[in-house]
Amino acid sequence: MAARGTARRGAGGGSARGPDPQEEPPPPLQAVLVADSFNRRFFPISKDRPRALLPMANVAMIDYTLEFLTATGVEETFVFCCWKSAEIKEHLQKSKWCRHTSPNTVRFVTSDLYRSLGDVLRDVDAKSLVRSDFILVTGDVVSNFNISKALEEHKLRRKMEKNVSVMTMIFKESSPGHHARCKEDDIVIAMDSATNRVLHYQRTQGLKRFRFPMSLFQNSIENVEVRHDLLDCHISICSPQVAELFTDNFDYQTRDDFVRGLLVNEEVLGNQIHMHVTTEEYGAHICNLLMYEAVCSDIIRRWVYPLTPEMNFTDDKNQSYTHSKHNIYRGVDVSLGHGSVLEENVLIGQGTVIGSNCCITNSVIGQNCRIGDRVTLDGAVLWDRVHIADNVEIHHSVICDEAEVKEKVKLKPRCVLSSQVVVGPGITLSEGTVISLHPPDEEEEDDDQFSDDSGVNKESKVKLKGYNKKDVGSEGRGYLWKADDKNEEDEEEQRQSLWGPAMHSEEESESDSDLSMGSEEPDSRAASPQLDDIKVFQNEVLGTLQRGEEENISCDNLVLEINSLKYAYNIGLKEMMQVLSKVILEFPLQQLDANLDSQTYFSALVPLLKNWTPLFKNYIKRASDHLNALCAIEEFFLEHDSLCTSIAKVLMTFYQLEILEEDVILNWFSLRDTSDKGKQLRKNQRLQKFIQWLEEAEEESSDGDQD
Amino acid sequence: MPGAAERGSELSEQIEAFAARLRRGGERPRSEDTARQTLSLLRKIVGNGRWSRAGELMDLIRTEGQRMTAAQPSETTVGNMVRRVLKVIREEYGRLHGRSEESDQQESLHKLLTSGGLSEDFRTPYPSLRANVIEAINEMLIELEGTTDNIAMQALEHIHSNEVIMTIGYSRTVEAFLKEAARKRKFQVIVAECAPFCQGHEMAVRLSKENIETTVMSDAAIFAVMSRVNKVIIGTKTILANGALIAVSGTHTLALAAKHHSTPLIVCAPMFKLSPQFPNEEDSFHKFVSPQEVLPFTEGEILAKINVHCPVFDYVPPELITLFISNIGGNAPSYIYRLMSELYHPDDYEL
Repeated sequence: MAARGTARRGAGGGSARGPDPQEEPPPPLQAVLVADSFNRRFFPISKDRPRALLPMANVAMIDYTLEFLTATGVEETFVFCCWKSAEIKEHLQKSKWCRHTSPNTVRFVTSDLYRSLGDVLRDVDAKSLVRSDFILVTGDVVSNFNISKALEEHKLRRKMEKNVSVMTMIFKESSPGHHARCKEDDIVIAMDSATNRVLHYQRTQGLKRFRFPMSLFQNSIENVEVRHDLLDCHISICSPQVAELFTDNFDYQTRDDFVRGLLVNEEVLGNQIHMHVTTEEYGAHICNLLMYEAVCSDIIRRWVYPLTPEMNFTDDKNQSYTHSKHNIYRGVDVSLGHGSVLEENVLIGQGTVIGSNCCITNSVIGQNCRIGDRVTLDGAVLWDRVHIADNVEIHHSVICDEAEVKEKVKLKPRCVLSSQVVVGPGITLSEGTVISLHPPDEEEEDDDQFSDDSGVNKESKVKLKGYNKKDVGSEGRGYLWKADDKNEEDEEEQRQSLWGPAMHSEEESESDSDLSMGSEEPDSRAASPQLDDIKVFQNEVLGTLQRGEEENISCDNLVLEINSLKYAYNIGLKEMMQVLSKVILEFPLQQLDANLDSQTYFSALVPLLKNWTPLFKNYIKRASDHLNALCAIEEFFLEHDSLCTSIAKVLMTFYQLEILEEDVILNWFSLRDTSDKGKQLRKNQRLQKFIQWLEEAEEESSDGDQD
Repeated sequence: MPGAAERGSELSEQIEAFAARLRRGGERPRSEDTARQTLSLLRKIVGNGRWSRAGELMDLIRTEGQRMTAAQPSETTVGNMVRRVLKVIREEYGRLHGRSEESDQQESLHKLLTSGGLSEDFRTPYPSLRANVIEAINEMLIELEGTTDNIAMQALEHIHSNEVIMTIGYSRTVEAFLKEAARKRKFQVIVAECAPFCQGHEMAVRLSKENIETTVMSDAAIFAVMSRVNKVIIGTKTILANGALIAVSGTHTLALAAKHHSTPLIVCAPMFKLSPQFPNEEDSFHKFVSPQEVLPFTEGEILAKINVHCPVFDYVPPELITLFISNIGGNAPSYIYRLMSELYHPDDYEL
């Protein structure tokens, strides 16, 4: 196969084949396609089928990605698979991409050891697969972008300034509120408008305020643009250096780590990242079901032209559609019953039979489905061989292969029925119900199959014996994964992790939904997987300090480690200060016993504080830092009532060690906007004495000055 | 025979690449280029394909032709060229078979009715057939070269001094036509911009470079301006079997306005755009592209609530058209059926 491929290449090279402008003798354009998401956002759907093969308007996502690469002139693609690699391989080998006439040679690299994008790129470097600039995409990108212009810019930049720019990221312009804008991928970017250089890259994570480093505006750059109207397509043009950088920095897990690391170390390493913004073409990365739905409807509405269903770009005989008015696409042998109406934006796969008096709008129906009479489908996505009985109503839900919905079932928005599930008859599934044949707690067994951990619910539920008839109906088959129950926080979070942050939950904090950034090491994950970044960071700091204590590591090294953690988790200075104070105050509790009395607690704490004074001094520099530290101390003592009495002593120690200054302590004490508890704390006798002492001391010193 | 196998795979790769290019259809290819590429691919199939009898060759061409036309049904030129080549094969076979030219022509209704049973089997192998067919295809390629010039040469018969001509969008044939006329005569051209792609702007720039007095206007002004216009001259993508047009969207408006004011509507189109298909075949001609041009993606929230369509072509019924100017002369829409039977064999209308 390979030999033939090269022979063909040699023969075909001379003739005018294809429009590729990259045809000049220098190395062919290569691409690295990561056919694994390294997270569980699509659980339980992706339990049966890898994410790259999920059908998007009846065509597997990876086909869109490959078509995009081929259309843009890529001649060699490395497909990296991990989870269910055999299935992906089988799918691709059957598709047109592996025919010898394909202008894009697809090569597979499989390993179960990949845990993240970082591992893949390290492997790219180790095997030295890429020879020149390459395109990095994941297997769930849908785009009709023509990369050649961005590629030219990239190459020009690299020629002008030898190897300074290592990566060009592709963004699509789309204003906030656009339905294809993924909340969790929302980013704020600061760029140099003259050179398109990325200066600052930050995920919004639902934050309302953003901090930009001052240095951004103090540099000699004339125009700094801060943009929030960009959609990250997750397409990047990388130079071979990118793979090397991943090897050098073994802690880079995701592209975000890489971008952040590069921007932070820009002055040291001298590497830059650039961006390319497209307005015309389409590009989207499907990271959750909400995006899945949005991109599906964009494909049907022809935004991704020419990747529309009737173009049949996969050259699959079963995938020929006709396109008629109001974006109705019909496959071969579709039968539509008497009185049934296809309103608009409907795609019906080959061999599907629809009964009479149905009303279907904005839906995708797979191949060989059976749909009964008087069925209403609105925004439904049905995969292949789904059976729907009479009088069913389905709104904005996903129903996977071979699932069955019995009579008079009603599916409220955002339900998911994974493959072969049966529900009904006569029940109503509430909003956000997810039903799968896999029991929900089974997931821990194959935990190691995944490298990332979003939304793993380890608070194990009671293993269901048999199917719960209440959830799935009297003839139903399947386990309820989660219902939309607002009382239970975890479940809410899980629902979000599948559908992504819901439309209506804008005001909610979304820190939980972006765990994929966290990329924790396995051990911290095992402890409590649902932590947000700050908590994970706190754990890490605690671990570091513990080690420092045990192994007697010098403070300088500790500072170094904590600094690197700070960058890894993108923690602000303020949070950093709070976390550090809290961790140190909690330290004796962790070490000895949770129920210490204040006396022993204090005596355990003092040597620690003395040891780590340089640590504090390193971080506490400005007045606001002092205040932050004090707030954290206050918070800690509020949480641990029994230790309240020692607060004065602790503060005294801080004061004596010259970590905290008296002005700030006084300032803090006089803060008005505190809770009742805080006020009570301030009434603590010893504390008041301490403050009094401080005040006197100050007066004395000022008196002294006057003399 | 590894050499033949390799040639075969190379050819199939080229066809694949051609089909893929049609499918992606990014850069609005010229119909003439498409026709030429199709013909040279077909010539390669004739030259390198494995066949010994005319019937086998025709099957081969038909299957490959279907593949190429299916890639982009709105590019009718591809199908037309395939049909032309099939007709050439029939003729060459007939000549070798020793049949006279005339008997092939279906002249009377009587013959048409009785000829059904007489269809030939194309079984007899003729070694010289390959060379003859390739020769005929080469002739067609040469003919293609001159089409635009042939049409432009007729310009002086249609455009007179001080006339006001209206056109829409950008057509290379019309551009050549007007430029040719401008060499001898002074006249004014009004170009409708043809939103949302606004090819009219490019047309206007090109014409004004030749010192033709040119005005660009928005499509909405077509009706208002029509009363001042002497002639409307447009290009088209396809001429259908009933004499109707598949032309760039906006043309129907223009044609209706011209009809209302009884302004003659002249269509400049080379013969290879003549397609034996009828407009009743749903979905084969229309082409909807990304709505980006109509309502940009950046619009945000509103896009989730509305449907935006961006059709590329209009259907213009034959009764709105006055005259076709092709490379073989001027014809009325009612005469199209006749041209059709000259160009294609009735058995090939359906590929």
